[in-house]
Amino acid sequence: MTVRPPGGQGESASEIVAATGLVYRYPGSAQPAVVDLSLSVPEGEVFGLLGPNGAGKTTTIAMLTTLLRPAGGSLRVCGVDLLRKPHQVRRLIGLVPQDVALYPTLTVRENLRYFGRLFGMGGKDLNRRVEECLDLVGLRDHGALRIETCSGGMKRRANLAAGIVHRPRLLFLDEPTVGIDPQSRNTILENLARLRQQGMTLIYTTHHMEEAQQLCSRLAIIDGGRVIAAGLPEELIAAGEGCRNLEDLFLQLTGRQLRD
Amino acid sequence: MKQFWATFCKDLLVLSRDRTGLLVLFFMPAVLVLVVSLVQNNILETTGASGMRVLFVDEDGDMVAAKVRERLGAVDSLKLVERVGDAPLTEATARRLVAKGDYQFGIVIPAGASRIFRVRSRQQARNAFGKKQRNASQVATEPMPQLLVFFDPTVQGIFRTAVTGSLSQVLLGIETEEKGQELSRALNTVLAARSRGFLMGGTILGEKELHRLLVVDSLLSVREQPASDRPDRPMPNAVQQNVPAWALFGMFFIVVPLSGALLRERQEGTLLRLRTLPVSYGVILLGKIAAFALVCMVQFGLMLAVGKFLLPLFGTPVLDLHGRLPSLCLLALCAALAATGFGLLVGTAARSFEQASMFGAVSVVVAAALGGVMVPVYVMPREMQAISAFSPLSWGLDGFLEIFVRGEGLSAVADNIFFLLAFFVVTLGLSWWVFHRQGRTGC
Repeated sequence: MTVRPPGGQGESASEIVAATGLVYRYPGSAQPAVVDLSLSVPEGEVFGLLGPNGAGKTTTIAMLTTLLRPAGGSLRVCGVDLLRKPHQVRRLIGLVPQDVALYPTLTVRENLRYFGRLFGMGGKDLNRRVEECLDLVGLRDHGALRIETCSGGMKRRANLAAGIVHRPRLLFLDEPTVGIDPQSRNTILENLARLRQQGMTLIYTTHHMEEAQQLCSRLAIIDGGRVIAAGLPEELIAAGEGCRNLEDLFLQLTGRQLRD
Repeated sequence: MKQFWATFCKDLLVLSRDRTGLLVLFFMPAVLVLVVSLVQNNILETTGASGMRVLFVDEDGDMVAAKVRERLGAVDSLKLVERVGDAPLTEATARRLVAKGDYQFGIVIPAGASRIFRVRSRQQARNAFGKKQRNASQVATEPMPQLLVFFDPTVQGIFRTAVTGSLSQVLLGIETEEKGQELSRALNTVLAARSRGFLMGGTILGEKELHRLLVVDSLLSVREQPASDRPDRPMPNAVQQNVPAWALFGMFFIVVPLSGALLRERQEGTLLRLRTLPVSYGVILLGKIAAFALVCMVQFGLMLAVGKFLLPLFGTPVLDLHGRLPSLCLLALCAALAATGFGLLVGTAARSFEQASMFGAVSVVVAAALGGVMVPVYVMPREMQAISAFSPLSWGLDGFLEIFVRGEGLSAVADNIFFLLAFFVVTLGLSWWVFHRQGRTGC
């Protein structure tokens, strides 16, 4: 199944992710984790990738971020053939993992500087950008705090800042608001909206349907390694029989049985 | 290059913030070198130079006890103790103190030892010239009292052998001397009798001459010296042997913090982030290797400083580098690389911090034992000696001993350097392979 931007003109100049027929099977696993998955994400969107546990979201994100190499299909990210030039793609993307992927004994600022340097940044440009990122996530006054002493919400915001320090065109966020208080969650969602305003494309996974409905301009629901629905949130809800919101649609499409 | 330095500085910063890690990396090895060198220094002294206190109980009060006291007292490795508190020692007190472990040895010269020894010696000398005594005295029929040596059961065999060996040597000397005198007297008596009074007893071979012949003018002697014919090489000592051995042991313990750092990166998700960055993970690993190898080198420098400046304050000899500092640094760097390579492999292959810390620490102790850090390789069974040849600590230690003890230079340790570097390359290659295998499987 293919998800295309409105208009359905196929791969266009504004298409930041163009995946066709992606397949991935983990070694030793009987079933492929992802089967014939196709996605098209227009630039500048906040694209929600939703699905129950084990649906294939993480595997899809791992392929899109060069962590796993698909066994089949084609994949272009930011106009670059990811299978042939993964290194080039890595310069253009950012990842905000589900875990707080920062060094606990380093300060927020030291972490951002380190990841910035790994992108080849340095000097005044890096310092300026680090301060911008701290401003964006509301941590300017806490940049000298070690990560291990930060609150859960501050850690999540620092995690987000580390993902954008190199000004990526495309940012992947894997459940960035998990396990934090409503205030921090709200701040993060505001930060993401601001990033979108700045022209950054966001691909976003979450289990909070309300959050996805509020933030995402476009979304795809994945189950069993396949895209089972995709489009604009309001259109998808309207198309669902008796669905009042995204959560109703999600449960209707993926069922109410527990996924382990 | 920017990414290499970024990782290098980041890892040093992370290490500097870890107080427990710093304790493990610097303080503990320094304490280890200090304590082991002092302990070993004492062991070497007790087996060869001075120090072991032996309780000496004199129930004899005569010649044998006096001579044993005089001659054992002249043995550097033994210090005779005849009084504990105010009262002179008795056998019972000495046994109690040794059994308690307050002293390691006790020697008892029993009452009557000298008296019966003299009579028996005279009797044997006369018998040698065919003069059977018809009416042997009561003393001559008494059983010869045996000298007693008792020891603390925790004392190792090598020290028991050292004390009993010294005592046997002293007793042999006393017996030879006494019997020589009696033989001399008996011979003179026989000659005087055969010359019908023409030769007076004692005039042919005097007792003083015999004492000089048997005891003073010793013809065979032992002189201890190193095998090397170069006079500038000092005698090996505990400091020269222990400082490099335990410094190497400490350096290999970098495996624990390094593997821990790698596992933390994996568990906390930073590795995931690093793998999506436009920088080869090889560059990040090289930065990490450089940071941890530098820590090893600082650690090694600290250990040398302990040997050179701290240990002498406790009375040990000063660590002598023989002017081979560049060779030492090169060999230490290769050992540091071998240790970091092993740490990378452990950190990459282990699935939990517990696995890495346990396996890392235990494998280093095993490699150290096999490599001769704890017990010299030459005293190991032949099979263990063969296995020892595969321990990287053995290659490092052999190299250090070549420089520290034999005073050799770079050419003598070329093989050791090659093996250590080869070990580094192999472990690095294996780590790389395991890392990519994990990347493919998503583990």
